[in-house]
Amino acid sequence: MTPLILFYVAGFVTLASAILAITRTNASHALIYLVVALLAIAVIFFLLGSPFAAALQIVVYAGAIVVLFLFVVMMLNLGKSSVARERELLTRGIWTLPSLLALVLFAVVLFALVSGDHEAGAQARMIEPKEVGIALYTKYVLAVELAGVLLLAALVGAYHLGRRYLADRREEEESS
Amino acid sequence: MTLTDLWVSFPLIVLVGGTLVLMIGVSIVRTHKLALGLTLLTLILSVAAHDIALENITTGYELFGLLNVSGIQVFFNVLFLLGAIVTALFAYPYFNERMERCEEFYILLLTATAGAMVVAAATHFASFILGLEILSISLYAMIAYPRESHQPLEAAAKYLVLSAVASSAILMGVALVYAASGTMAFAELNISPESGERSYFLLGQALICVGIAFKLSLVPFHMWTPDVYQGAPAVVTGYVATVSKGAVIALLINYVQATEVLSYTGVFYAVVFVAVASMIVGNLLALLQTNLKRLLAYSSIAHLGYLLIAVLVVNTARPELVLETVLLYVAAYFIITLAAFGIVNLTSEHATEDNEQMEAYTGLFWRNPLLASVLTAVALALAGIPLTVGFIAKFYVFAAGVEGTAWALVWALLIGSAIGVFYYLRLIYTMVKQVEPGAAALPQVGTQSVVAVTVLGLLIVVLGVYPTPMIDMIRTIVQASGF
Repeated sequence: MTPLILFYVAGFVTLASAILAITRTNASHALIYLVVALLAIAVIFFLLGSPFAAALQIVVYAGAIVVLFLFVVMMLNLGKSSVARERELLTRGIWTLPSLLALVLFAVVLFALVSGDHEAGAQARMIEPKEVGIALYTKYVLAVELAGVLLLAALVGAYHLGRRYLADRREEEESS
Repeated sequence: MTLTDLWVSFPLIVLVGGTLVLMIGVSIVRTHKLALGLTLLTLILSVAAHDIALENITTGYELFGLLNVSGIQVFFNVLFLLGAIVTALFAYPYFNERMERCEEFYILLLTATAGAMVVAAATHFASFILGLEILSISLYAMIAYPRESHQPLEAAAKYLVLSAVASSAILMGVALVYAASGTMAFAELNISPESGERSYFLLGQALICVGIAFKLSLVPFHMWTPDVYQGAPAVVTGYVATVSKGAVIALLINYVQATEVLSYTGVFYAVVFVAVASMIVGNLLALLQTNLKRLLAYSSIAHLGYLLIAVLVVNTARPELVLETVLLYVAAYFIITLAAFGIVNLTSEHATEDNEQMEAYTGLFWRNPLLASVLTAVALALAGIPLTVGFIAKFYVFAAGVEGTAWALVWALLIGSAIGVFYYLRLIYTMVKQVEPGAAALPQVGTQSVVAVTVLGLLIVVLGVYPTPMIDMIRTIVQASGF
């Protein structure tokens, strides 16, 4: 019974923070809720008996991707007026709710770890990282290769679209 | 991995290997001609590699449980590769004039084609989604390739957002289907009617259908088509209209046969609605277009509606007739569409903007009889007039519809075609009109593209007058694949 309650709590946090993330008008505030939503999904993975997927979720989404988002938002906010605006970004009212939600998640994980019955939360069994690795490099090796091609295509596309023109650079050099 | 695995996946390996060689080559010497040469070489080698693949498969060959390669897949793959060859030939003069750096386009063209090949052979959601994303990601960048102009960027942004929504619909659908059935392989996706999970199994299937309908630009998921077709460079539009849609059609027929998803009445009638709406709405919206690219966009919506008839009768008509129809229709559609966008492309080679307004083609018969003849063949073939390959294809769809006793669909086909004749004939009428004195001169065109367009135009007529070799070939392929 306990694992089910834990799952519902984590699910509630996911939904609440996701809804808050898409209704914020300020991009930085939305991102904070997005981080909480991604962490909550990681907790759900953990409760379902897949600690590896949970770790990946945190490393890849909550870690790398959100940091990238933050970089973009910060780069778009360049300018003197934005410094003052950034100070206003992190008032107390803004960070209390996300921290509260994150605290709930922390309690869920703590409770699951202490009671030790998170593995029974689903009919599925625990899946170890080793198993994931073996599946990826035997059964799904073709899928891994295809993911490589996908990244190559994205990289080449991003390179072409993001590259600054030589002409632009020449103009800049002349003016500076 | 066995040696047979290797030989069967050889065409894909050659294609991806060629992409890497091209990328490294480009990073050492940036020459547009060299990039084009390497691309064509890769594509031709990949076509040749299909011969080796065919020797190693009898009726079909499972690759890692992710892809299934049979004669039908080989047929589609060769079509995609030929489409890519034509696209590369058209792209050279088009980008050579207006772009500083054109080489990345060919890398994207190769990865997109690899994605299309994966989608066409997918028998598992993992390979389906990976292939679809390889194709879509390459297409976003290809559409936005002339990045300093406004229209392509706008088209790419629209395509990116809407296509991502469609992809997420598919992913959500896959998640629901997986939750209900516990498998991601198409062949095992069955669920008993009494099962409690049936409701969200069907919801998942519906979401997957929505995603596929978006990628095929069927009504009511067609809104992006005219804008993207108009905004993208003509050569890319031709590629989007043929290869990316052909891949999804190949997947659809695979999926429908493996999962029997159309035996659920709800899904079946939803797809019937989509097919009828595409045929009627597509043709009606095309009536008043003055922009050739938009006209072709609406016409392609209608054509995919026609093609859907063959997919819908999969349970009531003979399976070999259904497959023959789909293969024939896709092949005919490839030739006609590539020729159509080829003409738009080659008359825009030296212009700053694409030559897409219908007025620009006024009196083409008196100014450039060769191009006008090809464009006439294209218009007649799209309308399905006899002696063109379009007629043969439409006739097959009609026959499949009649055999499957899908009368509503057959009526929609007839009504849609009747409406369609009007605007195709209007295009021909525009070309016959006398040129007004003082009209802008026709842009100069390069020989390379003219040859390619002429060959496509000849194919439309020759295969329309004497289709037997093509029909025989398709019949052999279908029979060899175990139907």
